[in-house]
Amino acid sequence: MIPGGPTAMTPPPSVPLSFLAAAAIGLFGFGFVAWFAGDKLVTVPNHPAAVSAVHMGVLAFLSVAVLGALHQFGPVVSNKRLRSVMAGRFTMVAMVAAGWLLPNGFAHGPEWMILAGGVSGAAAALVAAWNLSGPLSSRTGGVPVLGLRISVTYLVLTVAFGVVYVLNRQAAWFPLLPNRVLAHAHLGLLGWLGLTYVSVAEKLWPMFLLAHRPGARSGKVAVVALGSGTLPLALGLLFSVAWLAMVGGALALVGLGAHLVSLASSVKHRRRPLEMLHAYLAASTLYLVIGIGFGVAAGFADVDTGTRMILVGVEVGALIAWLSLAVAGHAHKIVPFIQYTMLRSRGVDRHPSGRPLLFGDLYRKAPARATLVLLTVGFGLILAGMLTGSVPLAAFGGGSLGISGIVIGLNLAFGPRLAAGGPTPEPATAGRQA
Amino acid sequence: MTEITDRVYEALSGVWDPELAVDIVSLGLVYDVRVDEDDGIEIDMTLTTPGCPVSDALPAEARRAVAEALPQWPVRVEIVWDPPWTPERMNVDAARSLGVGRRLRI
Repeated sequence: MIPGGPTAMTPPPSVPLSFLAAAAIGLFGFGFVAWFAGDKLVTVPNHPAAVSAVHMGVLAFLSVAVLGALHQFGPVVSNKRLRSVMAGRFTMVAMVAAGWLLPNGFAHGPEWMILAGGVSGAAAALVAAWNLSGPLSSRTGGVPVLGLRISVTYLVLTVAFGVVYVLNRQAAWFPLLPNRVLAHAHLGLLGWLGLTYVSVAEKLWPMFLLAHRPGARSGKVAVVALGSGTLPLALGLLFSVAWLAMVGGALALVGLGAHLVSLASSVKHRRRPLEMLHAYLAASTLYLVIGIGFGVAAGFADVDTGTRMILVGVEVGALIAWLSLAVAGHAHKIVPFIQYTMLRSRGVDRHPSGRPLLFGDLYRKAPARATLVLLTVGFGLILAGMLTGSVPLAAFGGGSLGISGIVIGLNLAFGPRLAAGGPTPEPATAGRQA
Repeated sequence: MTEITDRVYEALSGVWDPELAVDIVSLGLVYDVRVDEDDGIEIDMTLTTPGCPVSDALPAEARRAVAEALPQWPVRVEIVWDPPWTPERMNVDAARSLGVGRRLRI
Protein backbone atom coordinates (compact mmCIF):
# COMPACT_ATOMS: atom_id res chain seq x y z
CA MET A 1 0.00 0.00 0.00
CA ILE A 2 1.33 3.43 -0.79
CA PRO A 3 1.93 5.31 2.47
CA GLY A 4 -0.04 8.41 1.64
CA GLY A 5 -1.65 9.34 -1.64
CA PRO A 6 -2.52 12.82 -2.85
CA THR A 7 -5.77 13.03 -0.92
CA ALA A 8 -3.86 12.35 2.30
CA MET A 9 -2.29 15.76 1.70
CA THR A 10 -5.54 17.70 1.45
CA PRO A 11 -6.85 19.93 4.23
CA PRO A 12 -10.00 18.94 6.15
CA PRO A 13 -13.05 18.94 3.84
CA SER A 14 -14.50 21.89 5.74
CA VAL A 15 -11.78 24.14 4.28
CA PRO A 16 -12.59 23.85 0.56
CA LEU A 17 -16.30 23.31 1.21
CA SER A 18 -16.58 26.52 3.25
CA PHE A 19 -15.02 28.49 0.38
CA LEU A 20 -17.37 26.90 -2.15
CA ALA A 21 -20.48 27.42 -0.01
CA ALA A 22 -19.53 31.08 0.43
CA ALA A 23 -18.97 31.32 -3.33
CA ALA A 24 -22.51 30.08 -4.02
CA ILE A 25 -23.83 32.84 -1.76
CA GLY A 26 -21.49 35.22 -3.58
CA LEU A 27 -23.01 34.16 -6.91
CA PHE A 28 -26.46 34.92 -5.51
CA GLY A 29 -25.19 38.33 -4.34
CA PHE A 30 -23.60 38.98 -7.73
CA GLY A 31 -26.87 38.31 -9.53
CA PHE A 32 -28.83 40.36 -7.00
CA VAL A 33 -26.54 43.37 -7.38
CA ALA A 34 -26.44 42.99 -11.19
CA TRP A 35 -30.24 42.97 -11.18
CA PHE A 36 -30.42 46.27 -9.29
CA ALA A 37 -27.52 47.79 -11.23
CA GLY A 38 -28.96 46.73 -14.59
CA ASP A 39 -29.59 50.33 -15.68
CA LYS A 40 -26.02 51.36 -14.82
CA LEU A 41 -24.48 48.29 -16.47
CA VAL A 42 -26.26 49.26 -19.66
CA THR A 43 -25.87 53.02 -19.66
CA VAL A 44 -22.71 53.80 -17.64
CA PRO A 45 -20.54 50.66 -17.27
CA ASN A 46 -18.03 52.50 -15.06
CA HIS A 47 -20.74 53.83 -12.68
CA PRO A 48 -20.08 52.86 -9.02
CA ALA A 49 -23.12 50.54 -9.02
CA ALA A 50 -21.81 48.69 -12.09
CA VAL A 51 -18.33 48.52 -10.59
CA SER A 52 -19.96 47.15 -7.45
CA ALA A 53 -21.66 44.36 -9.43
CA VAL A 54 -18.43 43.40 -11.20
CA HIS A 55 -16.50 43.27 -7.92
CA MET A 56 -19.21 41.14 -6.37
CA GLY A 57 -18.87 38.63 -9.19
CA VAL A 58 -15.10 38.63 -9.31
CA LEU A 59 -14.41 38.68 -5.56
CA ALA A 60 -17.37 37.25 -3.63
CA PHE A 61 -18.05 34.54 -6.22
CA LEU A 62 -15.11 33.77 -8.50
CA SER A 63 -12.11 34.53 -6.29
CA VAL A 64 -13.65 32.81 -3.27
CA ALA A 65 -14.49 29.71 -5.36
CA VAL A 66 -11.11 29.59 -7.09
CA LEU A 67 -9.22 30.01 -3.81
CA GLY A 68 -11.27 27.17 -2.31
CA ALA A 69 -10.49 24.94 -5.28
CA LEU A 70 -6.79 25.80 -5.02
CA HIS A 71 -6.67 24.86 -1.35
CA GLN A 72 -7.87 21.39 -2.42
CA PHE A 73 -6.21 21.03 -5.81
CA GLY A 74 -2.76 22.41 -4.91
CA PRO A 75 -2.01 19.69 -2.31
CA VAL A 76 -3.48 16.95 -4.54
CA VAL A 77 -1.48 17.80 -7.64
CA SER A 78 1.78 18.51 -5.81
CA ASN A 79 1.41 15.83 -3.12
CA LYS A 80 2.38 18.44 -0.52
CA ARG A 81 0.32 19.89 2.30
CA LEU A 82 -0.73 23.51 2.80
CA ARG A 83 1.52 25.36 5.21
CA SER A 84 -1.40 25.92 7.59
CA VAL A 85 -5.02 24.84 7.72
CA MET A 86 -5.81 27.77 10.02
CA ALA A 87 -4.36 30.16 7.43
CA GLY A 88 -6.70 28.57 4.88
CA ARG A 89 -9.67 29.32 7.10
CA PHE A 90 -8.43 32.90 7.61
CA THR A 91 -8.13 33.36 3.84
CA MET A 92 -11.74 32.25 3.39
CA VAL A 93 -13.08 34.69 5.98
CA ALA A 94 -10.90 37.58 4.77
CA MET A 95 -11.70 37.09 1.07
CA VAL A 96 -15.42 36.74 1.75
CA ALA A 97 -15.26 39.94 3.82
CA ALA A 98 -13.46 41.74 0.99
CA GLY A 99 -15.91 40.33 -1.54
CA TRP A 100 -18.88 41.86 0.27
CA LEU A 101 -17.38 45.01 1.82
CA LEU A 102 -15.85 46.44 -1.35
CA PRO A 103 -18.95 46.16 -3.58
CA ASN A 104 -21.20 47.53 -0.84
CA GLY A 105 -18.75 50.35 -0.26
CA PHE A 106 -18.65 51.20 -3.97
CA ALA A 107 -22.42 51.15 -4.27
CA HIS A 108 -23.48 52.86 -1.05
CA GLY A 109 -20.41 53.92 0.95
CA PRO A 110 -19.31 54.78 3.56
CA GLU A 111 -15.68 55.11 2.59
CA TRP A 112 -14.40 53.08 5.57
CA MET A 113 -16.14 50.08 4.08
CA ILE A 114 -14.01 50.30 0.94
CA LEU A 115 -10.87 50.74 3.01
CA ALA A 116 -11.75 47.75 5.21
CA GLY A 117 -12.50 45.68 2.12
CA GLY A 118 -9.14 46.59 0.59
CA VAL A 119 -7.24 45.69 3.76
CA SER A 120 -9.17 42.44 4.10
CA GLY A 121 -8.56 41.49 0.46
CA ALA A 122 -4.85 42.27 0.76
CA ALA A 123 -4.57 40.14 3.90
CA ALA A 124 -6.43 37.28 2.19
CA ALA A 125 -4.19 37.38 -0.88
CA LEU A 126 -0.94 37.56 1.06
CA VAL A 127 -1.86 34.78 3.46
CA ALA A 128 -3.13 32.62 0.58
CA ALA A 129 0.11 33.16 -1.37
CA TRP A 130 2.18 32.15 1.65
CA ASN A 131 -0.01 29.16 2.43
CA LEU A 132 -0.17 27.89 -1.15
CA SER A 133 3.58 28.37 -1.60
CA GLY A 134 3.93 25.11 0.36
CA PRO A 135 2.34 22.83 -2.24
CA LEU A 136 3.35 25.07 -5.14
CA SER A 137 7.03 24.78 -4.22
CA SER A 138 6.83 21.10 -5.18
CA ARG A 139 9.20 19.93 -7.89
CA THR A 140 6.45 17.68 -9.22
CA GLY A 141 3.14 18.70 -10.70
CA GLY A 142 4.32 19.88 -14.12
CA VAL A 143 2.49 22.52 -16.11
CA PRO A 144 -0.43 22.94 -13.69
CA VAL A 145 1.87 23.79 -10.77
CA LEU A 146 3.95 26.13 -12.94
CA GLY A 147 0.81 27.95 -14.01
CA LEU A 148 -0.52 28.18 -10.46
CA ARG A 149 2.72 29.74 -9.22
CA ILE A 150 2.32 32.49 -11.82
CA SER A 151 -1.42 32.91 -11.21
CA VAL A 152 -1.01 33.27 -7.45
CA THR A 153 1.63 35.94 -8.14
CA TYR A 154 -0.97 37.68 -10.30
CA LEU A 155 -3.45 37.46 -7.42
CA VAL A 156 -1.03 39.40 -5.23
CA LEU A 157 -0.37 41.91 -8.03
CA THR A 158 -4.09 42.37 -8.68
CA VAL A 159 -4.82 43.01 -5.03
CA ALA A 160 -1.84 45.39 -4.82
CA PHE A 161 -3.33 47.36 -7.72
CA GLY A 162 -6.67 47.36 -5.94
CA VAL A 163 -5.21 48.59 -2.67
CA VAL A 164 -3.46 51.47 -4.48
CA TYR A 165 -6.77 52.41 -6.11
CA VAL A 166 -8.52 52.25 -2.73
CA LEU A 167 -5.90 54.51 -1.14
CA ASN A 168 -6.08 56.81 -4.15
CA ARG A 169 -9.72 57.50 -3.32
CA GLN A 170 -8.43 59.33 -0.22
CA ALA A 171 -5.15 60.71 -1.49
CA ALA A 172 -6.15 61.55 -5.08
CA TRP A 173 -2.70 60.79 -6.47
CA PHE A 174 -4.03 60.23 -9.99
CA PRO A 175 -7.34 60.23 -11.86
CA LEU A 176 -8.87 56.76 -12.17
CA LEU A 177 -9.13 56.81 -15.96
CA PRO A 178 -10.88 53.93 -17.82
CA ASN A 179 -7.56 52.56 -19.12
CA ARG A 180 -6.30 52.18 -15.52
CA VAL A 181 -9.48 50.39 -14.48
CA LEU A 182 -9.07 48.08 -17.47
CA ALA A 183 -5.46 47.30 -16.52
CA HIS A 184 -6.70 46.13 -13.12
CA ALA A 185 -9.56 44.15 -14.68
CA HIS A 186 -7.30 42.28 -17.12
CA LEU A 187 -4.73 41.56 -14.46
CA GLY A 188 -7.40 39.92 -12.32
CA LEU A 189 -9.49 38.23 -15.02
CA LEU A 190 -6.67 36.89 -17.18
CA GLY A 191 -3.64 36.72 -14.86
CA TRP A 192 -5.26 35.53 -11.65
CA LEU A 193 -8.57 33.82 -12.44
CA GLY A 194 -8.00 32.94 -16.09
CA LEU A 195 -4.53 31.51 -15.70
CA THR A 196 -5.59 29.52 -12.64
CA TYR A 197 -8.39 27.92 -14.64
CA VAL A 198 -6.19 27.32 -17.69
CA SER A 199 -3.56 25.64 -15.46
CA VAL A 200 -5.98 23.49 -13.50
CA ALA A 201 -7.77 22.45 -16.70
CA GLU A 202 -4.56 20.86 -17.97
CA LYS A 203 -4.90 18.31 -15.15
CA LEU A 204 -8.66 18.02 -14.88
CA TRP A 205 -9.79 17.77 -18.50
CA PRO A 206 -7.74 14.69 -19.46
CA MET A 207 -8.63 13.09 -16.13
CA PHE A 208 -12.38 13.62 -16.43
CA LEU A 209 -12.37 12.51 -20.07
CA LEU A 210 -9.90 9.61 -19.63
CA ALA A 211 -8.05 11.29 -22.47
CA HIS A 212 -4.60 9.90 -23.19
CA ARG A 213 -3.20 12.61 -25.40
CA PRO A 214 -0.08 12.01 -27.47
CA GLY A 215 1.38 15.28 -26.16
CA ALA A 216 0.33 18.23 -24.06
CA ARG A 217 2.30 20.99 -25.80
CA SER A 218 -0.77 23.16 -26.30
CA GLY A 219 -1.36 23.18 -22.54
CA LYS A 220 2.18 24.32 -21.88
CA VAL A 221 1.90 27.04 -24.53
CA ALA A 222 -1.41 28.16 -22.99
CA VAL A 223 0.07 28.57 -19.53
CA VAL A 224 3.34 30.21 -20.62
CA ALA A 225 1.80 32.57 -23.19
CA LEU A 226 -1.10 33.70 -20.99
CA GLY A 227 1.20 34.02 -18.00
CA SER A 228 3.78 36.08 -19.87
CA GLY A 229 1.28 38.13 -21.88
CA THR A 230 -0.99 39.42 -19.14
CA LEU A 231 1.61 41.64 -17.44
CA PRO A 232 2.63 43.60 -20.57
CA LEU A 233 -1.04 43.87 -21.53
CA ALA A 234 -1.90 45.34 -18.13
CA LEU A 235 1.14 47.65 -18.12
CA GLY A 236 0.37 48.81 -21.65
CA LEU A 237 -3.19 49.65 -20.63
CA LEU A 238 -2.04 51.27 -17.38
CA PHE A 239 0.46 53.62 -18.98
CA SER A 240 -1.33 53.93 -22.33
CA VAL A 241 1.56 52.36 -24.24
CA ALA A 242 -0.21 50.92 -27.25
CA TRP A 243 2.61 48.70 -28.57
CA LEU A 244 3.14 47.13 -25.14
CA ALA A 245 -0.57 46.43 -24.75
CA MET A 246 -0.61 44.90 -28.25
CA VAL A 247 2.36 42.63 -27.54
CA GLY A 248 0.79 41.51 -24.27
CA GLY A 249 -2.61 41.13 -25.89
CA ALA A 250 -1.15 39.03 -28.71
CA LEU A 251 0.60 36.74 -26.23
CA ALA A 252 -2.58 36.41 -24.18
CA LEU A 253 -4.48 35.57 -27.37
CA VAL A 254 -1.97 32.86 -28.20
CA GLY A 255 -2.37 31.48 -24.69
CA LEU A 256 -6.15 31.46 -24.80
CA GLY A 257 -6.09 29.95 -28.30
CA ALA A 258 -3.75 27.19 -27.12
CA HIS A 259 -6.10 26.61 -24.19
CA LEU A 260 -8.94 26.01 -26.66
CA VAL A 261 -6.74 23.68 -28.72
CA SER A 262 -5.92 21.77 -25.54
CA LEU A 263 -9.63 21.39 -24.75
CA ALA A 264 -10.32 20.18 -28.28
CA SER A 265 -7.47 17.67 -27.96
CA SER A 266 -8.87 16.29 -24.71
CA VAL A 267 -12.30 15.92 -26.26
CA LYS A 268 -10.85 14.28 -29.38
CA HIS A 269 -8.84 11.72 -27.42
CA ARG A 270 -11.49 11.03 -24.81
CA ARG A 271 -12.28 7.49 -23.71
CA ARG A 272 -15.65 8.17 -22.19
CA PRO A 273 -18.75 9.95 -23.40
CA LEU A 274 -19.28 13.65 -22.91
CA GLU A 275 -21.39 14.51 -19.87
CA MET A 276 -22.99 17.48 -18.21
CA LEU A 277 -19.63 19.03 -17.22
CA HIS A 278 -18.81 19.33 -20.89
CA ALA A 279 -22.03 21.19 -21.59
CA TYR A 280 -20.85 23.71 -18.98
CA LEU A 281 -17.45 23.80 -20.68
CA ALA A 282 -19.02 24.30 -24.09
CA ALA A 283 -21.05 27.27 -22.83
CA SER A 284 -18.00 28.58 -20.99
CA THR A 285 -15.87 28.30 -24.14
CA LEU A 286 -18.49 30.11 -26.18
CA TYR A 287 -18.26 33.06 -23.81
CA LEU A 288 -14.45 32.99 -23.97
CA VAL A 289 -14.64 33.28 -27.75
CA ILE A 290 -17.14 36.13 -27.41
CA GLY A 291 -14.87 37.85 -24.90
CA ILE A 292 -11.85 37.53 -27.18
CA GLY A 293 -13.84 38.87 -30.11
CA PHE A 294 -15.09 41.91 -28.25
CA GLY A 295 -11.68 42.52 -26.68
CA VAL A 296 -10.02 42.60 -30.09
CA ALA A 297 -12.81 44.79 -31.46
CA ALA A 298 -12.45 47.20 -28.52
CA GLY A 299 -8.73 47.46 -29.20
CA PHE A 300 -8.82 47.94 -32.95
CA ALA A 301 -12.27 49.09 -34.11
CA ASP A 302 -12.54 52.67 -35.30
CA VAL A 303 -15.41 53.71 -33.04
CA ASP A 304 -16.28 56.57 -30.68
CA THR A 305 -15.46 56.45 -26.99
CA GLY A 306 -18.98 55.49 -25.93
CA THR A 307 -19.12 52.51 -28.28
CA ARG A 308 -15.63 51.41 -27.24
CA MET A 309 -16.76 51.48 -23.62
CA ILE A 310 -19.67 49.19 -24.49
CA LEU A 311 -17.36 46.81 -26.37
CA VAL A 312 -14.98 46.69 -23.42
CA GLY A 313 -17.88 46.17 -21.01
CA VAL A 314 -19.12 43.21 -23.06
CA GLU A 315 -15.58 41.79 -23.20
CA VAL A 316 -15.26 41.95 -19.41
CA GLY A 317 -18.75 40.51 -18.95
CA ALA A 318 -18.00 37.64 -21.34
CA LEU A 319 -14.75 36.81 -19.56
CA ILE A 320 -16.63 36.70 -16.24
CA ALA A 321 -19.18 34.40 -17.92
CA TRP A 322 -16.36 32.15 -19.22
CA LEU A 323 -14.93 31.71 -15.75
CA SER A 324 -18.30 31.50 -13.96
CA LEU A 325 -19.58 28.65 -16.11
CA ALA A 326 -16.28 26.80 -15.79
CA VAL A 327 -16.31 27.19 -12.00
CA ALA A 328 -19.95 26.11 -11.70
CA GLY A 329 -19.39 23.08 -13.94
CA HIS A 330 -16.31 21.92 -12.07
CA ALA A 331 -18.05 22.52 -8.71
CA HIS A 332 -20.37 19.64 -9.67
CA LYS A 333 -17.27 17.42 -9.79
CA ILE A 334 -15.18 18.80 -6.93
CA VAL A 335 -17.87 19.14 -4.26
CA PRO A 336 -19.28 15.59 -4.67
CA PHE A 337 -15.74 14.18 -4.55
CA ILE A 338 -14.98 15.97 -1.26
CA GLN A 339 -18.35 14.97 0.17
CA TYR A 340 -17.84 11.37 -0.95
CA THR A 341 -14.60 11.29 1.02
CA MET A 342 -16.40 12.72 4.05
CA LEU A 343 -19.26 10.23 3.81
CA ARG A 344 -16.91 7.28 3.49
CA SER A 345 -14.98 8.37 6.56
CA ARG A 346 -18.31 8.20 8.41
CA GLY A 347 -18.95 4.70 7.11
CA VAL A 348 -21.45 5.67 4.40
CA ASP A 349 -20.34 3.76 1.32
CA ARG A 350 -23.61 2.56 -0.17
CA HIS A 351 -26.41 4.17 -2.08
CA PRO A 352 -29.86 3.48 -0.55
CA SER A 353 -30.35 0.98 -3.41
CA GLY A 354 -27.49 -1.11 -2.03
CA ARG A 355 -24.93 -0.51 -4.77
CA PRO A 356 -21.67 1.32 -4.02
CA LEU A 357 -21.95 5.07 -3.58
CA LEU A 358 -20.90 7.10 -6.63
CA PHE A 359 -19.93 10.75 -7.05
CA GLY A 360 -22.93 11.17 -9.32
CA ASP A 361 -25.27 10.23 -6.46
CA LEU A 362 -24.28 13.33 -4.53
CA TYR A 363 -26.19 15.92 -6.51
CA ARG A 364 -29.40 16.04 -8.48
CA LYS A 365 -29.04 16.21 -12.26
CA ALA A 366 -32.12 18.36 -12.97
CA PRO A 367 -31.05 21.29 -10.74
CA ALA A 368 -27.54 20.99 -12.17
CA ARG A 369 -28.94 21.34 -15.68
CA ALA A 370 -31.12 24.23 -14.50
CA THR A 371 -28.03 26.00 -13.13
CA LEU A 372 -26.34 25.62 -16.51
CA VAL A 373 -29.34 27.16 -18.28
CA LEU A 374 -29.74 29.96 -15.73
CA LEU A 375 -26.07 30.93 -15.94
CA THR A 376 -25.83 30.70 -19.72
CA VAL A 377 -29.05 32.62 -20.29
CA GLY A 378 -28.32 35.07 -17.48
CA PHE A 379 -24.98 36.13 -18.87
CA GLY A 380 -26.42 36.17 -22.38
CA LEU A 381 -29.17 38.56 -21.30
CA ILE A 382 -26.71 40.87 -19.53
CA LEU A 383 -24.44 41.05 -22.57
CA ALA A 384 -27.42 41.51 -24.89
CA GLY A 385 -28.71 44.27 -22.60
CA MET A 386 -25.36 46.04 -22.73
CA LEU A 387 -25.21 45.78 -26.52
CA THR A 388 -28.78 46.91 -27.15
CA GLY A 389 -29.10 49.36 -24.28
CA SER A 390 -31.97 47.34 -22.81
CA VAL A 391 -32.18 47.69 -19.04
CA PRO A 392 -34.84 44.94 -18.60
CA LEU A 393 -32.63 42.41 -20.39
CA ALA A 394 -29.66 43.18 -18.15
CA ALA A 395 -31.83 43.17 -15.03
CA PHE A 396 -33.43 39.82 -15.88
CA GLY A 397 -29.98 38.47 -16.62
CA GLY A 398 -28.84 39.49 -13.14
CA GLY A 399 -31.92 37.85 -11.64
CA SER A 400 -31.15 34.64 -13.51
CA LEU A 401 -27.61 34.61 -12.10
CA GLY A 402 -28.92 35.20 -8.59
CA ILE A 403 -31.33 32.26 -8.85
CA SER A 404 -28.52 30.06 -10.18
CA GLY A 405 -26.53 30.81 -7.00
CA ILE A 406 -29.40 29.56 -4.87
CA VAL A 407 -29.97 26.45 -6.99
CA ILE A 408 -26.32 25.35 -7.13
CA GLY A 409 -25.82 26.06 -3.42
CA LEU A 410 -28.84 24.01 -2.33
CA ASN A 411 -28.21 21.21 -4.82
CA LEU A 412 -24.62 20.63 -3.74
CA ALA A 413 -25.31 21.20 -0.04
CA PHE A 414 -28.24 18.80 0.27
CA GLY A 415 -27.28 16.21 -2.33
CA PRO A 416 -25.34 13.96 0.07
CA ARG A 417 -28.17 13.91 2.60
CA LEU A 418 -30.60 12.76 -0.07
CA ALA A 419 -28.22 10.28 -1.69
CA ALA A 420 -27.09 8.67 1.52
CA GLY A 421 -30.73 8.28 2.57
CA GLY A 422 -31.57 8.55 6.23
CA PRO A 423 -29.55 9.56 9.23
CA THR A 424 -25.78 9.59 9.21
CA PRO A 425 -24.49 6.36 10.74
CA GLU A 426 -21.98 6.17 13.54
CA PRO A 427 -18.33 6.55 12.50
CA ALA A 428 -16.80 3.32 11.21
CA THR A 429 -14.73 1.27 13.61
CA ALA A 430 -10.99 1.07 13.12
CA GLY A 431 -11.23 -2.52 11.94
CA ARG A 432 -13.55 -1.58 9.13
CA GLN A 433 -11.24 1.10 7.82
CA ALA A 434 -8.59 -0.13 5.42
CA MET B 1 -4.80 -21.53 -5.08
CA THR B 2 -6.82 -20.97 -8.23
CA GLU B 3 -9.97 -21.04 -6.15
CA ILE B 4 -8.55 -18.37 -3.81
CA THR B 5 -7.51 -16.25 -6.77
CA ASP B 6 -11.00 -16.51 -8.21
CA ARG B 7 -12.47 -15.40 -4.89
CA VAL B 8 -10.09 -12.45 -4.80
CA TYR B 9 -11.22 -11.33 -8.26
CA GLU B 10 -14.82 -11.86 -7.24
CA ALA B 11 -14.33 -9.62 -4.20
CA LEU B 12 -12.54 -7.00 -6.28
CA SER B 13 -15.45 -7.02 -8.72
CA GLY B 14 -17.53 -5.48 -5.95
CA VAL B 15 -15.27 -2.42 -5.77
CA TRP B 16 -16.46 0.36 -8.06
CA ASP B 17 -14.72 3.42 -9.36
CA PRO B 18 -17.05 6.09 -7.92
CA GLU B 19 -16.53 8.43 -10.86
CA LEU B 20 -16.95 5.92 -13.69
CA ALA B 21 -19.53 3.61 -12.03
CA VAL B 22 -17.63 0.51 -13.25
CA ASP B 23 -15.91 -2.11 -11.09
CA ILE B 24 -12.12 -2.12 -10.97
CA VAL B 25 -11.72 -5.59 -12.50
CA SER B 26 -13.79 -4.69 -15.55
CA LEU B 27 -11.85 -1.44 -15.84
CA GLY B 28 -8.62 -3.44 -16.04
CA LEU B 29 -7.13 -1.74 -12.99
CA VAL B 30 -6.15 -5.05 -11.38
CA TYR B 31 -2.85 -6.14 -12.94
CA ASP B 32 -1.95 -9.20 -10.90
CA VAL B 33 -3.09 -11.31 -7.94
CA ARG B 34 -0.52 -13.54 -6.22
CA VAL B 35 -1.50 -16.02 -3.54
CA ASP B 36 1.17 -17.52 -1.32
CA GLU B 37 0.58 -19.54 1.83
CA ASP B 38 3.43 -17.75 3.61
CA ASP B 39 3.07 -14.21 2.24
CA GLY B 40 -0.70 -14.13 1.88
CA ILE B 41 -2.48 -12.32 -0.93
CA GLU B 42 -0.66 -9.63 -2.90
CA ILE B 43 -2.59 -7.51 -5.37
CA ASP B 44 -0.99 -5.25 -7.97
CA MET B 45 -3.39 -2.59 -9.16
CA THR B 46 -3.21 0.77 -10.86
CA LEU B 47 -5.42 3.84 -11.27
CA THR B 48 -6.73 5.51 -14.39
CA THR B 49 -4.35 8.44 -13.93
CA PRO B 50 -1.69 9.52 -11.42
CA GLY B 51 -3.23 12.05 -9.05
CA CYS B 52 -6.60 10.40 -9.53
CA PRO B 53 -8.99 11.82 -6.91
CA VAL B 54 -9.67 8.37 -5.50
CA SER B 55 -6.04 7.28 -5.38
CA ASP B 56 -6.26 6.72 -1.63
CA ALA B 57 -9.78 5.41 -1.38
CA LEU B 58 -9.80 2.83 -4.17
CA PRO B 59 -6.81 0.72 -3.04
CA ALA B 60 -8.08 0.86 0.53
CA GLU B 61 -11.49 -0.25 -0.63
CA ALA B 62 -9.94 -3.11 -2.63
CA ARG B 63 -7.96 -4.30 0.37
CA ARG B 64 -11.00 -4.13 2.59
CA ALA B 65 -13.19 -6.06 0.14
CA VAL B 66 -10.67 -8.91 -0.16
CA ALA B 67 -10.00 -8.97 3.58
CA GLU B 68 -13.73 -9.30 4.23
CA ALA B 69 -14.11 -12.09 1.67
CA LEU B 70 -11.04 -14.01 2.88
CA PRO B 71 -10.60 -12.97 6.53
CA GLN B 72 -8.01 -15.64 7.29
CA TRP B 73 -5.59 -14.29 4.66
CA PRO B 74 -3.33 -11.27 5.04
CA VAL B 75 -3.85 -8.88 2.12
CA ARG B 76 -1.49 -6.33 0.60
CA VAL B 77 -2.33 -3.95 -2.23
CA GLU B 78 0.44 -2.36 -4.26
CA ILE B 79 -0.16 0.60 -6.58
CA VAL B 80 1.89 0.22 -9.74
CA TRP B 81 2.24 2.75 -12.54
CA ASP B 82 4.20 0.64 -14.98
CA PRO B 83 2.71 -0.21 -17.36
CA PRO B 84 0.36 2.77 -17.23
CA TRP B 85 -3.33 2.03 -17.51
CA THR B 86 -4.91 2.62 -20.89
CA PRO B 87 -8.59 2.45 -21.76
CA GLU B 88 -7.88 -0.57 -23.97
CA ARG B 89 -7.51 -2.58 -20.74
CA MET B 90 -11.25 -2.31 -20.09
CA ASN B 91 -13.33 -5.33 -20.90
CA VAL B 92 -16.09 -5.12 -23.48
CA ASP B 93 -18.84 -4.61 -20.92
CA ALA B 94 -17.01 -1.74 -19.23
CA ALA B 95 -16.23 -0.06 -22.53
CA ARG B 96 -19.84 -0.40 -23.60
CA SER B 97 -21.17 0.91 -20.31
CA LEU B 98 -18.98 3.98 -20.76
CA GLY B 99 -20.19 4.27 -24.32
CA VAL B 100 -16.74 4.01 -25.88
CA GLY B 101 -16.63 0.43 -27.18
CA ARG B 102 -16.64 1.49 -30.81
CA ARG B 103 -14.08 4.24 -30.18
CA LEU B 104 -11.69 1.69 -28.63
CA ARG B 105 -12.49 -1.00 -31.23
CA ILE B 106 -13.02 -3.62 -28.53
